[in-house]
Amino acid sequence: MIDRRLLSNIDWVLIALLLWNSALGVVFIYSSSHYLPGNYYLRQIIWIVLSLIALFLFIMIDYKNFLTYSLHLYIVFIFPLAGMLLFGKLVVGTKSWIRFPFFQIQPSELIKIIMILLLAQIFSEYKARYFSWNKLLLSGGAVSLPILLVVLQPDLGTTLTYVPIILAALILAGFSRKSFIFILIFTLVLSFGVWNFFLKEYQKQRIMTLINPLQDPLGAGYHILQSKIAIGSGGFLGKGYKKGTQSQLRFLPARHTDFIFSVIGEEFGYAGVIVVFLSYFLLLSRLFRSIDKSRDRAGVYIIFMVAMMIAFQFFVNVMMVIGLFPVIGIPLPFLSYGGSSLLTNYLAVSLVLNVKMRRFVNV
Amino acid sequence: MKNSKIYEDLSLIIKRSFRIFLLVEILLVALAIYFWKIQIVDHNKYWHQSEANRIREVVLPAPRGLIKDRDGHILADNIASFKASLLRENCKNFNLFSLRVSRLLNIEENILKERIEKYKSWPQFKPIVFEDNLNLKEVSLIEGRQLEFPELVLQTEPKRYYPQDTFAAHTIGYLQELSEEEMKSSLHKERRLGDLVGKKGIEKIYDNLLRGEDGYYVEAVDSVGRHVGMIEKRDPVQGYTLKLTIDCDLQRMAEELLEGKEGAAVVLDAQNGEVLALASYPTFDPNKFINRFSPQEWLDLVNNPEFPLENRAIRGLYAPGSLFKLVIALAALDLNLITQNTSFFCSGSTRIYNQPFSCWSEQGHGWTNLFNGIRNSCNIYFYNVGKRLGIEEIARYAVRLGYGSRTGIDLTGEKEGLVPSPEWKKKVKDAPWFPGETISVSIGQGPLLVTPLQVAVHTALIANRGVMVTPHVLMSYQNPDTKEDKEVRFPPKNFNPGIESSAYEKVIKGMWRAVNDEGTARLARIQDYDVCAKTGSTQVVSSIKGGEKPKPENKLKTHSWFTGFAPQDYPKVVVTVIVEFGGMGGASAAPLARKLFELYREKYD
Repeated sequence: MIDRRLLSNIDWVLIALLLWNSALGVVFIYSSSHYLPGNYYLRQIIWIVLSLIALFLFIMIDYKNFLTYSLHLYIVFIFPLAGMLLFGKLVVGTKSWIRFPFFQIQPSELIKIIMILLLAQIFSEYKARYFSWNKLLLSGGAVSLPILLVVLQPDLGTTLTYVPIILAALILAGFSRKSFIFILIFTLVLSFGVWNFFLKEYQKQRIMTLINPLQDPLGAGYHILQSKIAIGSGGFLGKGYKKGTQSQLRFLPARHTDFIFSVIGEEFGYAGVIVVFLSYFLLLSRLFRSIDKSRDRAGVYIIFMVAMMIAFQFFVNVMMVIGLFPVIGIPLPFLSYGGSSLLTNYLAVSLVLNVKMRRFVNV
Repeated sequence: MKNSKIYEDLSLIIKRSFRIFLLVEILLVALAIYFWKIQIVDHNKYWHQSEANRIREVVLPAPRGLIKDRDGHILADNIASFKASLLRENCKNFNLFSLRVSRLLNIEENILKERIEKYKSWPQFKPIVFEDNLNLKEVSLIEGRQLEFPELVLQTEPKRYYPQDTFAAHTIGYLQELSEEEMKSSLHKERRLGDLVGKKGIEKIYDNLLRGEDGYYVEAVDSVGRHVGMIEKRDPVQGYTLKLTIDCDLQRMAEELLEGKEGAAVVLDAQNGEVLALASYPTFDPNKFINRFSPQEWLDLVNNPEFPLENRAIRGLYAPGSLFKLVIALAALDLNLITQNTSFFCSGSTRIYNQPFSCWSEQGHGWTNLFNGIRNSCNIYFYNVGKRLGIEEIARYAVRLGYGSRTGIDLTGEKEGLVPSPEWKKKVKDAPWFPGETISVSIGQGPLLVTPLQVAVHTALIANRGVMVTPHVLMSYQNPDTKEDKEVRFPPKNFNPGIESSAYEKVIKGMWRAVNDEGTARLARIQDYDVCAKTGSTQVVSSIKGGEKPKPENKLKTHSWFTGFAPQDYPKVVVTVIVEFGGMGGASAAPLARKLFELYREKYD
């Protein structure tokens, strides 16, 4: 099915970086959840193994085939998203989960892969210097439907992670000064609308307390403050594995998911933070530098969108735990506990591997 | 090949993407610098904040499940109570604390210090309970001094309450604080300091059903204990409501009848083993265990020579006396060693194996067959039958008929009694079995030991002509929220004595005559109600806890036994009574049993 030449072109370094980041995640998931029932670290290991298998299965198929059928895939995946709004059960205030006997999955995560493929397909033959309005409308329309469905779930955090994908496509297609201004105005109008009509009171509060966390230290600002205290009290070398008073004594919310980076900062200090930063730097640079290994335009778009998606989530998460961004449910890719996010990110990277390994193949 | 993908000019978009990567790198460095500021430059500030951060875990104890009798009357309930605890992380000087609090709440300083010492290995933020059942005045005293005593914490929680005091106390059991060793065992992993857990009876054996699930909240507090944020919260879940098989009328009657005596009474549903009444006297008030004993009260209770805490019905070991004649009769009939017409002559005394043995009746019973042997409880008759059987067969049948092993009732601490055999004697006393001992055993004396409940179950077995029941106290349990009932099954013990039913019929005929034909149990006779019974009196005082001596005035008296069932043909109820030092069984135990039979008939027929 896959010939030997292709196999020798797999970027094993990238896969190794992926696994290294995931392993770091397991270590800290254990530290931040070993006193909870549920064996989260074990479940995460199972998810890593499954995601890795999925990754290898996906790179066997030429990404060209995915591109050809991207619209079909898109339509097929929109239905469960829409269906969940109608039939989904509210879990912790959202309808974003499909429950299976032993696990649950978030289709809103997986649809990012389809989105990347569809956008790459839309721009695959686009050679103009700046994007044209019909491309903007086409790509905007393609992305706004899932955005709308996910906003209604309501899952603001996941919706936000769609932004870097479309933004990446538009950056590559090229902003003219005029379109830049237009988009700026559009965004302002949109955010005004979202603030007034979509955001729940607690979400507004979170954004407000970002501006001044001390204004309401017991309410919405509390988590930011505690997370900052956790990281700051870690110092240079940290308090030691499983010895973080903030995380072990449960001052931190969502310790093994969204706030895992605070646990790292508290228990391993600045050294730990830098290790994670370096790991991410290596991973991101490996991704970005894969771009000129693409043989075609669609490949460039794919790799860039994947890299942007991961970079964006990383930055938002890190800035969130240190109080530079509102608390919004975005996990740290590869490190936070969570199967759907992990699987999505693995599949995204599998697309990059896919593009890279087929650069010399003439079809 | 201009349009070939390999030669496509992608330089523009590649350049754009690398420019973005540059931004990514800059952002990464900027963040690394910001983290440096937070973690290195401002480290001290955050370190102090993290040290000042404290959490207080407040447990919201689950109300224990209710215990009800079979008609739904509440036997064990919950009421609210206030507890005062010490939060050590807020306390600087324990001696000063003890002094001030002892004055404030009028508690002995030593008791406070003892408790602090006892639980000193526990985490600082876990409160140590030192006083419960505070009255309103004490509550307001503490409330008003919250700032003065940040280490003093007030908690409200549901407290066990037994509205009927001593009623069915032995069956319900009681709660007690866990000892420190018990706390450490894995069995009580989720238990906390000062928690009361079931120690005896229903409260213990169904502790898992009753305890429910404690809720808790974890709050963040500052260094003086003020609430600054809620971290986690879970509501408590009440335990299951247990419905017992106890019938409150029969139980009350049984207790009233025993009042002022020492003894026990068991009323059993003959068909399914449901325990309708299980009384033991003297008794105790389980509420006392909730409200903490003073040391003196506790010593008085455990050193009481009458052992009020012991459930005599399942833990009292007595020689069965003449009750054992039923076993002898059944064994001999089953082995065809006698028929109903086999007769022996009773002259009041006899010599067997060159030893003198006497009947309880000095003038003797004359020629005695099986029916009259049981009716008059004639010793001479059973000496002879027992001699024919030999100790091996006696022991074999006694075990088959329910003696020498636990009945399996769902209560704690049941004793298994003792059925002696030559092997037993060799092992325990390192002495051979003497034939004379067999003769003693034939009338239920010697080393034989049974519990009143065993006697009741044995009687039910005879009443049912060979069908064993497992006695039980729990009927069903109910989820207090969903009201969903769960029945409980107690399958009969899996053995059949394998004695042919005609043997039972003959023995039952003798038991009928004992009651209704001027026999030893005649005081239990009820007009038009075919009570069948056997009485007994034991000469040997068998202690509950070995070694204690009977009171001097009781030295010459015997324990008085009665066991019987009714009606003869469709047995419904079994009544077993023992009155310690009650004299002849027919005289003191039988009239009590009659009252219980009468009440049962009135209520259930």
